[in-house]
Amino acid sequence: MNGPLVLVVDDDPDILDAICDILDGEGYRVARARHGLEALERVDEEEPSLILLDLMMPVMDGLAFAQALRARPLARRIPIVVISADGNPQRAAAVGAQGYLAKPFDIDALMSHISRMTGGAPLHG
Amino acid sequence: MSEKHSDETRAAERERRGGYLGYVAHEVRNPLSTALWSAELLARMPPEERGGARGEKLTAMCLRSLGRVRQLVEDHFLCERLDAQGLLVRPEGLPVRELLEEIAGRRSLDVGPVTVDVAPSALVLADRVLLDRALDALLAAAGRERAAVQVTGREEGRQVVLRLAGRAPGPHSLEDPRRGSPADPKGRSLALAVARRAAAALGGTLVVEGDAFVLSLPRAEAYTASPDPAAHP
Repeated sequence: MNGPLVLVVDDDPDILDAICDILDGEGYRVARARHGLEALERVDEEEPSLILLDLMMPVMDGLAFAQALRARPLARRIPIVVISADGNPQRAAAVGAQGYLAKPFDIDALMSHISRMTGGAPLHG
Repeated sequence: MSEKHSDETRAAERERRGGYLGYVAHEVRNPLSTALWSAELLARMPPEERGGARGEKLTAMCLRSLGRVRQLVEDHFLCERLDAQGLLVRPEGLPVRELLEEIAGRRSLDVGPVTVDVAPSALVLADRVLLDRALDALLAAAGRERAAVQVTGREEGRQVVLRLAGRAPGPHSLEDPRRGSPADPKGRSLALAVARRAAAALGGTLVVEGDAFVLSLPRAEAYTASPDPAAHP
């Protein structure tokens, strides 16, 4: 599978499983992290094309992660889509995100965001 | 109290309540998301694939998520009813050790091992349903991430004092559920909010002492609260 790599960052294991299942089914490669610190490690290892980022997480929250990401010259341009249950799109702007999806969002809305930001949907398989 | 001070108090209360309700909404939206997504993914699957490994995984996720939503909704409305003093409390003498052991058995998959060191003769006078919810919530909070929980109890004057030691409570965990209930895949984010209100409704107190929750309840023979039946809707 050669689709774009999407990093999903969320502390809820079911959210991670569900989104990874959705993306995998659409032909994307997927990496996952349970908090910001783990996400920084994934970024350094795998250079994702896009990051789906929850905000409220233990260890390192979404805002701190975004600030640390922007300080990395090689990673600062990776687009971020905030996926949050807080219902406040302004917080996406606060982390410099390019998109915002309020949980529970539609699967089609998620795919539309990802396709647009990664330059088109991958070929299945 | 001056009018200005009163306005400030009301504004602070509105802000506190708004923050709390925002937290409740946040906690419900996560499992609601996974319930909806897993159901939609199942609906999109060809029928012949639903019985396969992926179908089973999605079905389990859907059921687990709905269970979390149910727990959160039940806890939220219990908190609201207790805040509104809209629950009729029916006190009766209850053996607290027996109740703790029953709840620990019921929750054996959710919390770590629970040891109960409370005299079998210790009786509290409390509403059975409410006490069950309070102890259940405290065991969930102390036993989160499957931590072992040790419950000790002693009679002190007119009270029975229970100490539940397990996963250390966060600072200000009783006042602010956002601090006391880290992300919880079991849907118990409102456990401490329930326990704090239930303790008060039972005529008792709940505090954090060191690494433990300490719940004090009236002994059976010392109970003096007089619930107001007219408050029951």
